[in-house]
Amino acid sequence: MSTDLSHFKDAFFEESQEHLTTIEEGLLQLEQRPGDIDLLNRIFRGAHSIKGNSGMFGFTAVSQFTHKMESVLDQLRSSQMVVTVEVADLLLQSLDCLKALIDCAKSGEAPNDELVSALGVRLEACQNGATPPKTGAVTAAPVPSHATQEHHYTITWAPPQYLFQRGLDPTQFIKELGELGCVKIASLDTSRLPGLKELDPEQCYLGWTLEVETVKELKVIEAVFDFVRDDSTLTIVDRQATGAPASAMSDGTKPLGEILVESGVVSQVELNQALSQQKRVGEILVEQKAATPEQISEALKKQSDNAPAKKAETPSIRVDTVKIDRLINLVGELVITQSMLSDLGSRFEMSQLPVLLERVAQLERNTREIQERVMGIRMVPIGNAFSRFPRLVRDLSGKAGKKIHLILSGEETELDKTVIESIGDPLTHLVRNSADHGLETPTERLAAGKPEQGIIRLNAFHEGGNICITVEDDGRGLNREKILAKGVKQGLIAESDKLSDEQIWMLIFKPGFSTADKVTDVSGRGVGMDVVKRNIEGLGGTVSIKTTAGKGTTFTLKLPLTLAIIEGMTVRVGKDTYIVPLLSILESIQPKREMIKTIVGKGELVNVRGMYLPLMRLYDVFRLEPELSDPTKAILLILETEGERVAVMVDEILGQQQVVIKSMEQNFRKIEGVAGATILGDGTVGFILDVRGLLNISRNGTAQAA
Amino acid sequence: MAEQDSTNKDLNHQMGISTDGSQFLTFQLGEELYGVDILRVQEIKGYTAVTRIPNTPPHIKGVLNLRGTIVPIVELRTKFGMPTIEYTMFTVIVVVVVKEKIMGLVVDAVSDVLDIDKKDIQPAPQFGAQVDVSFLNGIGKAGDKLVALLDMDRLLTDGDMTESERIAA
Amino acid sequence: MPKTVLVVDDSPTMRQMVAFTLSSAGYQVVEAGNGKEAVGKVNGGTKPDLVVTDLNMPEMDGISLIKEIRKMPALKFTPILMLTTEASDDKKKAGQAAGATGWIVKPFNPEQMMAVIKKVLPA
Repeated sequence: MSTDLSHFKDAFFEESQEHLTTIEEGLLQLEQRPGDIDLLNRIFRGAHSIKGNSGMFGFTAVSQFTHKMESVLDQLRSSQMVVTVEVADLLLQSLDCLKALIDCAKSGEAPNDELVSALGVRLEACQNGATPPKTGAVTAAPVPSHATQEHHYTITWAPPQYLFQRGLDPTQFIKELGELGCVKIASLDTSRLPGLKELDPEQCYLGWTLEVETVKELKVIEAVFDFVRDDSTLTIVDRQATGAPASAMSDGTKPLGEILVESGVVSQVELNQALSQQKRVGEILVEQKAATPEQISEALKKQSDNAPAKKAETPSIRVDTVKIDRLINLVGELVITQSMLSDLGSRFEMSQLPVLLERVAQLERNTREIQERVMGIRMVPIGNAFSRFPRLVRDLSGKAGKKIHLILSGEETELDKTVIESIGDPLTHLVRNSADHGLETPTERLAAGKPEQGIIRLNAFHEGGNICITVEDDGRGLNREKILAKGVKQGLIAESDKLSDEQIWMLIFKPGFSTADKVTDVSGRGVGMDVVKRNIEGLGGTVSIKTTAGKGTTFTLKLPLTLAIIEGMTVRVGKDTYIVPLLSILESIQPKREMIKTIVGKGELVNVRGMYLPLMRLYDVFRLEPELSDPTKAILLILETEGERVAVMVDEILGQQQVVIKSMEQNFRKIEGVAGATILGDGTVGFILDVRGLLNISRNGTAQAA
Repeated sequence: MAEQDSTNKDLNHQMGISTDGSQFLTFQLGEELYGVDILRVQEIKGYTAVTRIPNTPPHIKGVLNLRGTIVPIVELRTKFGMPTIEYTMFTVIVVVVVKEKIMGLVVDAVSDVLDIDKKDIQPAPQFGAQVDVSFLNGIGKAGDKLVALLDMDRLLTDGDMTESERIAA
Repeated sequence: MPKTVLVVDDSPTMRQMVAFTLSSAGYQVVEAGNGKEAVGKVNGGTKPDLVVTDLNMPEMDGISLIKEIRKMPALKFTPILMLTTEASDDKKKAGQAAGATGWIVKPFNPEQMMAVIKKVLPA
């Protein structure tokens, strides 16, 4: 029978992630409190758990590497080594490597062996610097098996007196021997037995001489006494041994390695390592002193950094039991309301209409509260997403040679779990951007009369039905002229275009746009900002920028609290109902005749407070039958997407409501111009408009109307 | 004895008991009888108002709310190039499962569940360019009826399901 | 009557696996996340026939737990197994000195664990 442990692997990976986080947070805190033994113990336990557990699943690479980290941590916590910046750096780098090893164990990919062994060497060196090198454990050379033959062992055993107090029972041993072969108690040794008065029943005074006939090896017999061997008087003699000692006699020459292992000069593990075939470039170079181990591992880190990042998404979520309890109560109330309604319905008369209405209202309250609570279950504090930034900023400030102070606030602000997972990357990019380009070097800052240390501030708060996250720096701000020039150069805008400040800042989100003079390996290649914007908008959110030259820049991300529900405005075109996301609506107007102009080549325009916006007739784009075709009698919704504004004509505004977004792609496909569908109050399907898509259609499609 | 056998078989057929083939839900479109593998049929629903989807081919009638899920509805008459008729009280939507997606087919009326042996199924003959038979699995014979067996996987083509379906009206 | 095993380890993964292996073999399992919790369970009524404990735990570590257990009259002679890593000979000695019966070496597979348990816990 073999028990399959593979379905515990998920538990292992989840638990390991937690340990990794504990270790990282601990290491970062350690720099402020290097003498904190409690902290060191906590970090040590994290590594120890990973080591132990990974071994259980056969993840030897993880286990062995963690062992090295653990050894260093052990010395730190027992005060045999002092925490220095170098040690902390080494441990943090090793942590990254460990993360990668665990990811590889999960995905089945091959790990970066060079990096692993380079860091391993450094960890061992670090460990050995504190204490003399440990002698390798002696591993006995394997005993060649004898052909199956009967052994006759004579065992004399006097267990320690405190045997019982260890929870051991001598009869167990005899039973166990009995399972291995044929046991006879040859004699009982009562020499230690005191008089009745002195006899303590909780002590063991007896000894035995046993004869065991078995085909089992000496090793197996010895193993029976594993737990008591050191404290007992024990002799096991193999009567039928051929006179030669049990250890192996070889016929030919033994390999050098084996001899070294047997004589305790090296351990089997060390031998295996030395025997591994390929000598890696990094190793050779270190040996030749052409490069230091530090340089090698730096280079290897660069190699793995540039490898595409793997996203580890946890399919599970931790929920406060309080939230669950409240929900269970609410469901209970719902059941009560429902039965009250059924009861009413079974014998309803018009006279009871007020009661009915009241109960329906109660139902509405119950449902709304349940909806909020259920949404609340998926809400996680944004602190989780912020947790990677202290480490990131530390690394970035080191790399860029700048002094950066990171301030986090609003970590308790909750948002939907799926949103949190998706904002990590965009936030990281914005923070990197601030560190790299926004903040000046210490010298520049001093020259500008600013404190040497630059500040990056991450904040999160709720506003309306959204969550706002700001990334603020007190650096040099965006350079208007440079951006304009770049925009013109890249053909994004014409020289003569009159752009608002806002529109100019939004240029930096165009693909390929970068005004960085220097491209670092972190940012500057212009591939980041447009992805940030796309990601945020993909979540149904918006990005906006505020900046002051010389003072700093603030990026604001506005995201819906959940992906599944949006606030929308219900509108009617002819007989059809559509939902327009409230986030995209700036205002609604009923235009006057003079405000509308038609320009050849540009279509209809409407003048809204001095700006001419394109006028889009929704019925045209969707080929519907409108009720009204005269804009001055209809309603224009001024919508905005990506800095572009458009006036969309509808027949009537019906109202505003929260709608649950239903997927079109689940059973059909994505429709251009439609962000999703929803179930309207009358049970029919309503479509939620996607402004970007509408603009695309009106540019490419309408002209071909049949 | 041979007679006994064939009588049994006939009985089985009439009672729709599957012996050696599969069972098909059959339905009517005009004069013709069509069949769908019963295992693909999730439910049969009376016709209710469907929301038209902007800029989709005419045989995609729209979408329907099926207990909270959005399900596309196909007007089979249009798909097969037949003229559309006024819906009657027999008009139903057959909800089928196709490659992990659910869709509804508007049919004139639903008929029996028939058991058709594999050996009674002939490949669909090519009628030339007039009728597109690429979505037929074959023609089955059940008693004295001929059933055109639909290949659900090919009914909604990839063209229907991709973005590029921008009709030149 | 099934025997009860008290499993003490701060790693949920490890606890789950050990508990699963034991209950598959017909044992009743009680879990605790550290020494203090384990003592709490015993004081709360759990009467283990065997204790399996890790050594490295917060709040109260394995060695301390073993000492505490041995102080309890009902558990004076109850077998206690430590979960150890190979190289910690000193831990094994310390554990035995505190009163531990024996040890299970990590990493282990279910069969190895059951073999050791059979040694100290009569069926």
